[in-house]
Amino acid sequence: MTLETTLVRGISLIYGLYLLLPIALLLVGSVGGNWTNTLLPTGITGQWYLDLWLDTSFRKAFVSSLVVAMAACAINTVLALPLAYALYHGARRGGSLAARIVSATPVAVPAITLAFGYMIVFNTDLAPWLGSMPLLIAAHAILTLPYLTNTLLTDLRHLDLGRLEQAAATLGASGWQQFTGIVLPSLRQSLISGLVMVAAISVGEFGVSNLLTSFQNRTYPVVLLQAFYGATGFACAATVILLVLASASALLSSSLVKQRA
Amino acid sequence: MSLLFDNVSYNYPGSTHGLHDVSLDVRTGELVAVIGPSGSGKSTLLKLVAGLETGHTGRIMLGGEDMSRTPVHQRHIGMVFQSYALFPHLSVLDNVAYGLKLRKVATAERRKRAQELLDIVGLGEFSQRAVAQLSGGQQQRVALARALAIDPRALLLDEPLSALDASVRGHLRDQIRSIQQRFNATTLLVTHDQEEALVMADRVAMLKDGRLLQIATPREIYENPASRAVAEFVGLSTILPAKVASPGRLDLGFAELFAETGSRSFGTPVHVLVRPEHIQPDPAPNAMNRLAGRTGAQRYLGALTRYDFEVQGAPKPFLAESPAPANEAIAVAPEHLRLLDH
Repeated sequence: MTLETTLVRGISLIYGLYLLLPIALLLVGSVGGNWTNTLLPTGITGQWYLDLWLDTSFRKAFVSSLVVAMAACAINTVLALPLAYALYHGARRGGSLAARIVSATPVAVPAITLAFGYMIVFNTDLAPWLGSMPLLIAAHAILTLPYLTNTLLTDLRHLDLGRLEQAAATLGASGWQQFTGIVLPSLRQSLISGLVMVAAISVGEFGVSNLLTSFQNRTYPVVLLQAFYGATGFACAATVILLVLASASALLSSSLVKQRA
Repeated sequence: MSLLFDNVSYNYPGSTHGLHDVSLDVRTGELVAVIGPSGSGKSTLLKLVAGLETGHTGRIMLGGEDMSRTPVHQRHIGMVFQSYALFPHLSVLDNVAYGLKLRKVATAERRKRAQELLDIVGLGEFSQRAVAQLSGGQQQRVALARALAIDPRALLLDEPLSALDASVRGHLRDQIRSIQQRFNATTLLVTHDQEEALVMADRVAMLKDGRLLQIATPREIYENPASRAVAEFVGLSTILPAKVASPGRLDLGFAELFAETGSRSFGTPVHVLVRPEHIQPDPAPNAMNRLAGRTGAQRYLGALTRYDFEVQGAPKPFLAESPAPANEAIAVAPEHLRLLDH
């Protein structure tokens, strides 16, 4: 083993520990009985999970989060498919600027900017919708739209779908038949994996949700923050639930992508 | 069904590429190969027939009917793409049956028809496979079956063998040709591989810079190229500048040769074309058109050796092919010196 590989492995190990240690601590904390002023909690208990289950505000927040995520998925499906399709064909005709903007948006525009914009616009008498569920859903949909669009766009390019459409056209398929018979089925897997990603981002999203929700429809991460001001074990258990939810989505998403490749 | 191009011109917006006044005809059941360097417009020609590019002037007639206004999906023209373009979410059989499904052919019947076509291309037992499980050559055969399934009015082959290994190419070439003849399909084959064109086609059309330079049988285009550009593109050759010295005599600067000069007058500048197989190594000392010199680079090809023969004063060496390279001299019979006026 050369020095180089040793170094790479060492750094990977440290980085992995750095990532995993908090998660491990959360897991330990969520089943720990008493955790004050000690390195590790003492005693083992399932109490925190039971408390969580019985806590109405958490159950409500859990439902809110799922509603928001599902709604964002539904809206994105309707928007991203035609958007990605139009961008793909637009880019081939030379107008690739729009496609580049869509791909860069999530990186270039911090989500918090969107939230502040919403706060200004929707806090007026003209549109007094700040704190409403539809507005929260809209924010999540807009926030996650570029991710889904990018996933679809990548697949469109990767499959060289323009060529497949041409082939379908010569075989007698009209534009609509090409879209429904060739484009949609070919994109099925990337659509599903993209939607799982959208759901994962939406469920874990904190910044925008925290600024835009009212007390009535707080999402899970927002309620979670409150928990940390109280009992530590309870908060750990609540975080573990979020973690399981998000990582299950991410795993599902990446395994779907893998299947494709 | 015959395919006719009548003064077809096309310009890509903002570029000089395109087609200029191309007229040619493809007879029913004929395979015409369109060759030319990249940017010559050969692919454009194909796309215009398919309807994948629109906006040409002139007429493209299929079976006597102008197709300019017919959208792609109503032209009933089978097309095979260089990249196969098979539908990845459909099985091999469903790929072949796709066009029939669009034509509302009943399920049982289209399955039967698709299976027949797969049998013809030799992939009968692969019908239930996923497309990705097939090799490149197999995929291209599926693409051919898919194009033929719709009983097309014409067949367009766009560089069908370019993406394949050399070992597969030769075999598939023969197979495509025999299937094309069996279906009596009016076919346009676009290729940059002149050898493929000569082997497969009934006639070869040579395009350059969007213009049709010559359309002729493979033998004619090889043995009697209409211009230097055609001669350079089709087959191997040595082309040298010369001028007519006297009737039947040609001055190459470094030598005078006997040749059929026809009615060209004294001093007419021409180019002279020599094919490598027409160069005779080490002729008798008194042979006609004997040129002394020495053999340069050699490439051993098994039955033949291809070599450069350097003649003192010549602007470039002669490219020759014979079982063994020449030792000290070569000769070219006068009837094998082809004069090109442009």
